[in-house]
Amino acid sequence: MNDANADARFATLEDVIRDDAFPELDMALRRGRHVDRDDVVWYALLVDAQDHLEPLYRRYGCELVHKSDGYFYLLPTDDRLGRRHLSPPEMLVGQAMALLYLDPAAVETGGVVTREHVLGHLAGVVGSDALVQMMNPKRRRHDERAAAETVRQAVAGALRRLAGLGFVEGIDDSRYRLRPSLLRFAEPLRGSGSPAARLAELARAGEIVVEEEGPGSDHGSGEGELTDEPVDDASSVAEPDDDAKAGDDEMIP
Amino acid sequence: MSAPDPRPLVTSLYRRGVALELHTIDLCFLAALAVHAERGGVASFQEDQLFDIFEQVLALTKETAPGGAKKRASSVVRRLREQKLLVRVDGAGVMRSGEYALTRLATGIVSFYLEDEALTRESLDVLAGTLTACLEGVAAAARTADSDEVWRTQVIGPLRLTIFELAGGIERRQRGLDLQQEAFQREIAALLATDWFGAVERCTKLLDTTSAMLHELNEMLLRHTHRFGELLVEVLERAADVDQPEAERAARDAIEQLERVGAWGAARQRAWSDYHEWVHRYLRDVVRLDPSRTIVHRLREQLAGRGGKHYALTIASAPAFRLLRAPVEVAPQPPVRSPKKEREQKLDVVASSDPDAELRASISGAIAAGARSLAAVTARVCPPDADVDTRFKAAGRVAQLVSAMASVSATLERPWGAAGEGILVEEWSIRDEEISS
Repeated sequence: MNDANADARFATLEDVIRDDAFPELDMALRRGRHVDRDDVVWYALLVDAQDHLEPLYRRYGCELVHKSDGYFYLLPTDDRLGRRHLSPPEMLVGQAMALLYLDPAAVETGGVVTREHVLGHLAGVVGSDALVQMMNPKRRRHDERAAAETVRQAVAGALRRLAGLGFVEGIDDSRYRLRPSLLRFAEPLRGSGSPAARLAELARAGEIVVEEEGPGSDHGSGEGELTDEPVDDASSVAEPDDDAKAGDDEMIP
Repeated sequence: MSAPDPRPLVTSLYRRGVALELHTIDLCFLAALAVHAERGGVASFQEDQLFDIFEQVLALTKETAPGGAKKRASSVVRRLREQKLLVRVDGAGVMRSGEYALTRLATGIVSFYLEDEALTRESLDVLAGTLTACLEGVAAAARTADSDEVWRTQVIGPLRLTIFELAGGIERRQRGLDLQQEAFQREIAALLATDWFGAVERCTKLLDTTSAMLHELNEMLLRHTHRFGELLVEVLERAADVDQPEAERAARDAIEQLERVGAWGAARQRAWSDYHEWVHRYLRDVVRLDPSRTIVHRLREQLAGRGGKHYALTIASAPAFRLLRAPVEVAPQPPVRSPKKEREQKLDVVASSDPDAELRASISGAIAAGARSLAAVTARVCPPDADVDTRFKAAGRVAQLVSAMASVSATLERPWGAAGEGILVEEWSIRDEEISS
């Protein structure tokens, strides 16, 4: 345990598992959920039970990571539990959201952004043409209207999946609150050293996978195609309805 | 006062084409008039005074008046009068130059820009104290009220006017504080944008001061609204006991208004608390960890495709449990066959009926039986058990057919004869000749 209070709360791993919040938290972590201070109960449980849970998840081939920015997540080190890499649209939207999180303008709204704002920001930073090309990588010729619609749909889908992973919180259909775990998207760019060295270090740790060519090159539409190792089919592609399907299956004892 | 239904209000405003179109110079002129009125203690302005004040406004704002100040002043005054912001109060018409006063709409607009009416500890203390004293007076009056007149003047009146105005004053200041909070949020963002790391201390101070103020205001509101509630419930119960429905309604409206006042404090404190926490985290995690804004620069370059290799985050993705369900036996579908029966049913032969021919036959029968006037024929032909409307319609048709089938004559006077109950027809004689069918 980290301190005397935590010791008092969970003496053994059994105490942790018996906690009412543990089953939901465990399933969420295994599905890639990032847990921060806004998830009050889960975060407190993880902080108090960290010393018991780290060895537990290590036995499943995962590291329970606690970042100094104030969030937890499960990092698979092998394929026992299942893992995937974020798709190019998810990475693009995630990095744009991280940039918004770092922007002082986010302070004015308390970290709440709209989908249109994210799209506008992406188009501003990446450029509209490049954005269309990234989101429609297989097409050489674009119908302008259809391509723009594809971009909007891809961004909306990516936002929905990132919300499921705890990077942002969906307030309603079009508004999202930025969460500290977005800083994970900027992790390879942090530190005073060279970003390339940092990238290599994180790749070795299994935190990221480095793409040899840019997402604009022929990599398909990028739904989970960045895997460097065989990944379970059921878990590699995150479709919008995955959560619903998973929810149905959770009904078994 | 219970809120009116918005639908008729909105449609009425739309139908009347209500609109306001004010230029900056108009607002400046209105503000100057309001300040002059307040300083000089005047309720209205002579035309010359209006022009003088307008000239001062022009001089201060350096606005130009190509056709002359007086011409432009006339145009502005006309526009303000059309929009019911300035009203002529002398009633002298063309006899002499007019005297003008600002309307309630104008003073409302000006006070929005002039008065800094944010809710403060002091203003809330004064307003809530006055409100409590007033409510105690109303409750005391309700305890002893023994006539409708006393209820109206000492309970309903104060509840409808004094309490409404005082609570409205608190609500107005609450909205002022809302505006001030928005300004704080913009100020914090601007401070960070201009002086990233150096602004942390000032932002923290601004946040903490506002949080402390909101906390204090919320506590005061809670304390006061509890007391308001006690007194109003007492008035409500007393009004119900002595059957004073108007007083009950007034007390209920006041309770609703004061509950709204109380709910504001809790809602704003909660919202500000979320904001406060978010910004504190931002200052701690983002500003302090990236004092030179290197990460922002690198991330921007990365997104724009100038930052080296692309990368993707690894996340856990445990497959969902598979639910093995028991197989469900589905009964085999019956084979598809074409129908052997005739699809169309055979038609029955039904004799057609001609109501006109039936009526002709009835008329012939009636004439053959000795009926020699239109009234007699009509009375025989029209079914006596039918209602008056049916017989009335049939009588018209009978008259037409009789004139076509037989030779009829009428006297100059054309008397009316009864053709059954409720039906009168002209008395035509039917000649004893051959009848055409």
